[in-house]
Amino acid sequence: MTGFTHDVLPCGIEYGIVPLPQRHVVSFQIRVLAGTAVEPSDKAGLARLLEETLDKGTQQRTGRELSDAFDAIGAAHSSGAGRETTTLSCSVLPEHFEKAVALNAELLRTTTLPQDALTVNIELAKQELDALQDDPQGLVDKYISLQAYGPKLGHHSLGELETLDCMTRDDLLAHWQNRFHAGNMIVSVSGPLDATRVADTFEKHFSGFGDPAKCGRSPVPVEFTPGTTHYEKELEQEQIGICWPGVEATHDDFEVQQVILSVLSGGMGARLFTEVREKQGLVYWVGAWQENPRGAGMLFLGASTTPEKADRTYTTLLREVDRLAEDITQDELDRAVTGIVAHRETRGDTTRSRGSELANDLFFFGRPVPAEEKLAKVRAVTIDDVVRYLTEHPRDRLCVVTLGPRPLDEAATAAQGASGTAR
Amino acid sequence: MKNPYTLHTLDNGLRIVIEKMPDVRSAAAGFMVDTGARDDSPEAAGVSHFLEHMMFKGTSKRTWREITVDFDRMGSSYNAYTSEDRTMYYGWVRTADIGKQMELLADMMRSTLPVEEFDMEKNVVLEEIAMSKDNLEHVMFDFLQEKVFEGHPLAWPILGYEETVGNMTRDQMWAYFQRRYAPGNVLLLVAGNVDPKAIIGMAEELCGSWQPYADAHQRTIPTVRTGVASLQVDRFKQQVVAITYPAVNAVDKRAETASAAATILGGENSRFFWEIVQEGIAPRAGAFHLDYADSGLMILYGTCLPENTEALVDALRREAQKICSDKIAPHELDRVKNKRRTGLAIEAEAPYHRLTQLMDDMQFRGGPRTVDQMLAEVDAIGVDDIHTYFQDFPINTEGHLTSVGPRLWPEGSTTGT
Repeated sequence: MTGFTHDVLPCGIEYGIVPLPQRHVVSFQIRVLAGTAVEPSDKAGLARLLEETLDKGTQQRTGRELSDAFDAIGAAHSSGAGRETTTLSCSVLPEHFEKAVALNAELLRTTTLPQDALTVNIELAKQELDALQDDPQGLVDKYISLQAYGPKLGHHSLGELETLDCMTRDDLLAHWQNRFHAGNMIVSVSGPLDATRVADTFEKHFSGFGDPAKCGRSPVPVEFTPGTTHYEKELEQEQIGICWPGVEATHDDFEVQQVILSVLSGGMGARLFTEVREKQGLVYWVGAWQENPRGAGMLFLGASTTPEKADRTYTTLLREVDRLAEDITQDELDRAVTGIVAHRETRGDTTRSRGSELANDLFFFGRPVPAEEKLAKVRAVTIDDVVRYLTEHPRDRLCVVTLGPRPLDEAATAAQGASGTAR
Repeated sequence: MKNPYTLHTLDNGLRIVIEKMPDVRSAAAGFMVDTGARDDSPEAAGVSHFLEHMMFKGTSKRTWREITVDFDRMGSSYNAYTSEDRTMYYGWVRTADIGKQMELLADMMRSTLPVEEFDMEKNVVLEEIAMSKDNLEHVMFDFLQEKVFEGHPLAWPILGYEETVGNMTRDQMWAYFQRRYAPGNVLLLVAGNVDPKAIIGMAEELCGSWQPYADAHQRTIPTVRTGVASLQVDRFKQQVVAITYPAVNAVDKRAETASAAATILGGENSRFFWEIVQEGIAPRAGAFHLDYADSGLMILYGTCLPENTEALVDALRREAQKICSDKIAPHELDRVKNKRRTGLAIEAEAPYHRLTQLMDDMQFRGGPRTVDQMLAEVDAIGVDDIHTYFQDFPINTEGHLTSVGPRLWPEGSTTGT
């Protein structure tokens, strides 16, 4: 029994509902298929600027009045522009659900994109670019994303000084008119609500919002560029970022990849923490994770360490990936699987997480996927699957970014199949 | 609503608080030790935090490897942290695993602090200190504590200094551990869909044999200093400033009022957001009430381009002046109350999040508050209470101004080390 509702409203919104009758809060997520990847190349930063300006004035209210209206119902709400979507998230007590949807519809449909607010947001984005220089991990993320995904999909959401300087209100208006319409929206709702009430509420508030036809839904292809790049910066620690292509969220081997990452970095008993931190004391922070734009998967390793330990940290990180196929044990595999399942059943069991998971399902699979279906695939992963995955998806093309006082030793990177440049 | 809490104290002084959450499928357990960085000695600054790392390194039953593997075997979301006045170890698991989780945490609490792991873990802590020096806001708040609480243990950084950690011996740590981790200093917290009687029974079995140790707190009340201090760090691009004032402590009945006042001033949709951020002066500006059992601070802060520093400080002071002289509008307070209501509903879904609230209540208020009690306390705050609060704890004076970034600003201020 899944209990999900999944349909398309007459207005064009694709929506999903996960009913959670015992809960005391409702969460919903609106994803507009308009992220940074569809920005014109000379308008980097546009999606984020639009997202920041949407709620600064509507036909009915000033930005401040709109914020007050959200606060009047105690809404915990946020928004953000990602690579592929602009997402609005909201959690409220059930009695305020209709009002919360109405307010989101108001800012999405009747924003006036006030010029004065845009001017301030451009100025703030420039200041944020400066602030990024004081955030070593954020900087590595910016540099490695560009190399991993290419300029179209991988550029930073803040844009650059030169693109921000030439941004106009007309640019925002055009992006909003072209991309923000009901046919381009995915909505997920979780909580103690009746499905009819949810559907009626969204239809009421979004009926007639632009073109109901689905459009602009094709993923932007990844342009992966292997190689090593060092960025010189005066820091106490050297930041190391490594990535290589994996499989996408809908691939048959996705769960195998998930388990491999859990073996590497699922807990303090996982390989990277054990080998890099506990046995050698090389780092405080080390981790492995994945990112999944539609149609692609990217695996990442990251660590920060004092410069004299950087080469050893780098080689240890890759050694742990390479020896997985030779010596992974059943006990390790079992722990990794248990970690994924238990995290889903503890941390992932909140109303907000359930709504977010459903939104992901609609975005990647076009349907709600019961947790049991996903977890059954995780539980079915065997050592043979891991070995086969590592053979079929070798880490033979690496993208490496370092940030700090000195580059990695060339011999170390060459031995790992990554040639280098310095900036 | 039925009181969901069970309190119990073992014969050796270890206290237990349990919150029954019938609607969840998970449970969290934690041991909070009533000790933190302010209990470090000057020559061993950082010992509380380093000890927290060492607690994962071995017991008479388990090696470090077995500890981490046992956590991972139950898929626990676990960790530990150290603050100025507490150290917390926790794990969040599926309900069926709560017994195993308690057993593992309890075993860790009687660590042997293995000698052979001490130097290796010291390297990890030194890396953590190095990492903190690359973080502008971390540097700022360490510097702020150093200056505002100068001469008091609250001035020492939680992580300690490279020198004190580098020179620390395992014997020093062992002596501190024996003294501070006595059962009378320990609180066991459990939240989730659990049977309180069974939890108390398990606690008796796991912790009942821990030997009591008389260790009276030697904490002294700090003086909150006024003044100006600047730390020039060329490699940072942004300037971060903070203006700090004395505030009520965490035990004071007005703590909720101070917290609401800080939210109105510098939370989401706050005065700072609209008058500072949305005026383009700084991308970040906020206010918060930092409280300990015996002292508190109201901190107004912002991060900006170095050339905007004067404008940022002027704006922070202008808003501080306004909230002291004019009463707030009722809707400003209503906003805080409404958001608190939603926040509590969200928090009530996750046992781990409940542990944090329980810790505060047990440490500062003598017992847990129900959600209804918490809401009643917030609802009882009136516009006049905020006004009276700022008359008692004004923020329209000079306070303590702290500045960190590429500018040595203001000129003539004392500099940091």
